[in-house]
Amino acid sequence: METIRTLEWKVGGQQGEGIDSTGEIFARTLFRYGYYVTTYKQFMSRIKGGHTNYKLRATPYPTQHAGDFVDILLALDDETIPINRHELRPGAIVIQEGKETAIREEDGYLLAVFPLKAIATELGNPLAKNMIALGMSGALVSLPVEEFYAFIEKQFEKKGEKVIASNKAAVDKGYALVREHLADRMKRLEPLPRSTERLYISGNEATAFGSFMAGCRFLSAYPITPASEIMEWMAAHLPAVGGTILQVEDEIAGITFAVGAAYAGARAMTSTSGPGMSLKTEALGMAAMSETPIVIVDSQRAGPSTGLPTKHEQSDLFHMLFATHGEIPRIVVYPSSIEDAFYVAAEAFNLAERYQTPVILALDLVLSMNRTTIPRIDAKRVPIDRGKIVTPEEAKKYGEFIFKRYRFTEDGISPRALPGNPYGVHTASSNEHGEDGYITEDPVIRTKIMQKRMEKVKTARLSRPFYVQDGEADVMLVGVGSARGVIEEVARRLREDDGVTVGGLFIQQLKPLPVEELRPYLAGKRMIITVENNYSGQLLQWLRQHFPIHDRSTAITQYDGNPFRVTRVAGEVKEVLDRVRRAQEAHA
Amino acid sequence: MSVELKKPTLKDYKGDQPTWCPGCGHFSVMAGLQRALVNLGLHPHEVIIVSGIGCSSKLPEYTRAYGFHTIHGRALPVAQGAKLAAPEMHVIVTGGDGDGYGIGAGHFVHAVRRNMDITYLVMDNSIYGLTKGQTSPTSPHNFVSKTTVKGNKEYPMDGLSIALANGATFVAQAFSGDVKRMTEIIEAAIKHKGFSLVNVLSPCVTYNKVNTYDFYREHLVDVPEPLPTREEAIRVVKEHGGHVHGILYVEKRPDFQTLLGIDWKMRDIAAGPMDEATIREIEAEFM
Ligand SMILES: Cc1ncc(C[n+]2csc(CCOP(=O)(O)OP(=O)(O)O)c2C)c(N)n1
Ligand code: SF4
Ligand SMILES: [Mg+2]
Repeated sequence: METIRTLEWKVGGQQGEGIDSTGEIFARTLFRYGYYVTTYKQFMSRIKGGHTNYKLRATPYPTQHAGDFVDILLALDDETIPINRHELRPGAIVIQEGKETAIREEDGYLLAVFPLKAIATELGNPLAKNMIALGMSGALVSLPVEEFYAFIEKQFEKKGEKVIASNKAAVDKGYALVREHLADRMKRLEPLPRSTERLYISGNEATAFGSFMAGCRFLSAYPITPASEIMEWMAAHLPAVGGTILQVEDEIAGITFAVGAAYAGARAMTSTSGPGMSLKTEALGMAAMSETPIVIVDSQRAGPSTGLPTKHEQSDLFHMLFATHGEIPRIVVYPSSIEDAFYVAAEAFNLAERYQTPVILALDLVLSMNRTTIPRIDAKRVPIDRGKIVTPEEAKKYGEFIFKRYRFTEDGISPRALPGNPYGVHTASSNEHGEDGYITEDPVIRTKIMQKRMEKVKTARLSRPFYVQDGEADVMLVGVGSARGVIEEVARRLREDDGVTVGGLFIQQLKPLPVEELRPYLAGKRMIITVENNYSGQLLQWLRQHFPIHDRSTAITQYDGNPFRVTRVAGEVKEVLDRVRRAQEAHA
Repeated sequence: MSVELKKPTLKDYKGDQPTWCPGCGHFSVMAGLQRALVNLGLHPHEVIIVSGIGCSSKLPEYTRAYGFHTIHGRALPVAQGAKLAAPEMHVIVTGGDGDGYGIGAGHFVHAVRRNMDITYLVMDNSIYGLTKGQTSPTSPHNFVSKTTVKGNKEYPMDGLSIALANGATFVAQAFSGDVKRMTEIIEAAIKHKGFSLVNVLSPCVTYNKVNTYDFYREHLVDVPEPLPTREEAIRVVKEHGGHVHGILYVEKRPDFQTLLGIDWKMRDIAAGPMDEATIREIEAEFM
């Protein structure tokens, strides 16, 4: 029997038929079996009906990409095969729900049809047809059946012995069917050492977890895909520690509630996607003008307008970098992995309070909703820093009737008194104001306080503003957020298949852009290629504003709603490399 | 740090120099509010006054207390966020009819039904004052202004009935021409545990020649005692075309934060390392 060390698997069916949970069970089972598991869900903006699918990739090494191909496909509706067929690897097995059992070779794959529903009904539980298909999946890679049992016992604990028994029976049936009909196609997924040092987690969960651990105790938001899970996670966890979420009337309330809570001294955030981000822009300016620290999460989806509400894109970069009237100080961060989402979210609160300004935390649909396998959390990495909050003793020393909330200081950051402090009474203002917070139109003060606000954030830095891989390479692939997953895979493939080394640069701090630190990896290179999910190459344009790379940079873009496939990007990178080489030869 | 505090006086509440037009009704609202705070023995550092944008919304600049002069129409959500984070603070919201019933109307209805323990003073002059005299959501039908040159063809918004119909637990209307009564009403509103709305008829002497002090003196009907039911209160408001004066309706009901039943500790986040034990506990969800 052939031994394999990676598996790419997909289940497709109609929405509302448990496709997601079927995928989740297999993912978690393989995760516990010792594999690094990464998943990607494809779904539509409706609740019942319509094709949905769940992709899973199990690897012996960490990755952020759910893979281009499929080795085993469970087709639980008629659309699964036509929609996903192009991903089938030669020799793949497709298990399809059908009228009667039939096994036949199709063009490039083996089609195995089983009357899953009828078999499940015979077993006494028609709902268990997905479990039969799961059992077949496990059997095809010789996964010990006990791996499923353990999961079933935990999953259905509350539903009682009978449900547990019938689900186990369904899985057993799947194993039996494979042994009977597909024994010659069975492979063996090599067992790996199990680890208790890993988590299987989504980007939204990691973001919420990181915010929670950083002391965020208030989140106000309005439901929107793909950001809602952040609010839902916080809703489940905050009350126990004296905080709450609030599902408010709209996204303007989402940000303004957070501003109020932050003014009063809580660590507060709001989470949304593009449409909500558009609504928040006036209040974003208020947060910056009043020097109120908040964190705003924009989990991007395909725009513009309502766009493709359940599809992936990275097209809000300009919006996050520039939106709102007037000029404001802002910090824009973008974790480049699900693991980093935890730490970047936690640091976002430190940066917000240290620099007393809004921090925008970018995510994208893939980064938000995919799950992957990450190392456990390092509790020491991000200690909480609340910035220049003053105690009553400290405030008293100033001896002011009206506390100068916007005091001019060397670093531009003013001591901050929280409501309730007897010596810190002041009014925060969205109007231009002097040091005391009172309205002023004095041109000298205006100029000075504008400089204070704009310049104070210059030194703001994430502890890891970017990651570099093979930084000495003369061609760099640059990306943000979930693009890191595809770039890492592309670099791996080019190295393994073509013996070519390309570098990878994954920028986590977009504003203020750490220009000097980035220079060695961007200036003086032969070619800079950004890999980004938008039409206009927004990341490339942002980099071109800071580095003289106009004649040796290009963007590989995609804006069809889907994440990149490694094959496509690798092919395009090779084309660019060829072009560069030909140009050099012609020159020589 | 424990602080020895003297009883608060009006002087403690003196903020920046007002820039309102002489005779503007907003002076009286501010006087009534400051007097009410002093009468209640509250110190400026125990109070947060949040406003939107408009002549009326400048009140926090002119009253010394914790304050937030926000953006147009957004005072209510900012104030509610502050109250959630610091429930021990007394949160007052001030702003105009344009601010609260125009651009901020969405927030208004939801603040009413949420019933957080805050007090909302709408300084209603039936005009957009700060932008120099346009028709507002409470301008009368056929009101003539620069933006309704042939008369306002819309009908005025009835904030009192909206509040009553959506479950407000304290609804009152006061008048800048009667500061004594206004002070009593504001005091009662602040003491009320839950969302309290005080619509203050506060004439704009510069741009509104219809809704004047004299007009209200002539038309206002006194409501000496709160009415027994919200239905009755709405009926009385409607009967008098909104020209009522007094506390219209009060209901005892637990406020939002009490209903949530949370042991509020939002602000108690100390600098230092993350809590490792909590991390390990939560990690179990992902294993
Ligand atoms: C988003 C936005 N739109 C418009 C304005 C301009 N603006 C400032 S105050 C105001 C109306 C104020 O009217 P009201 O709230 O009734 O207060 P008043 O001046 O009458 O006391 C408007 C339209 C603004 N500041 N912001
Ligand atoms: S314009 Fe009207 S509302 Fe504004 S300050 Fe003058 S009188 Fe008052
Ligand atoms: Mg007005």
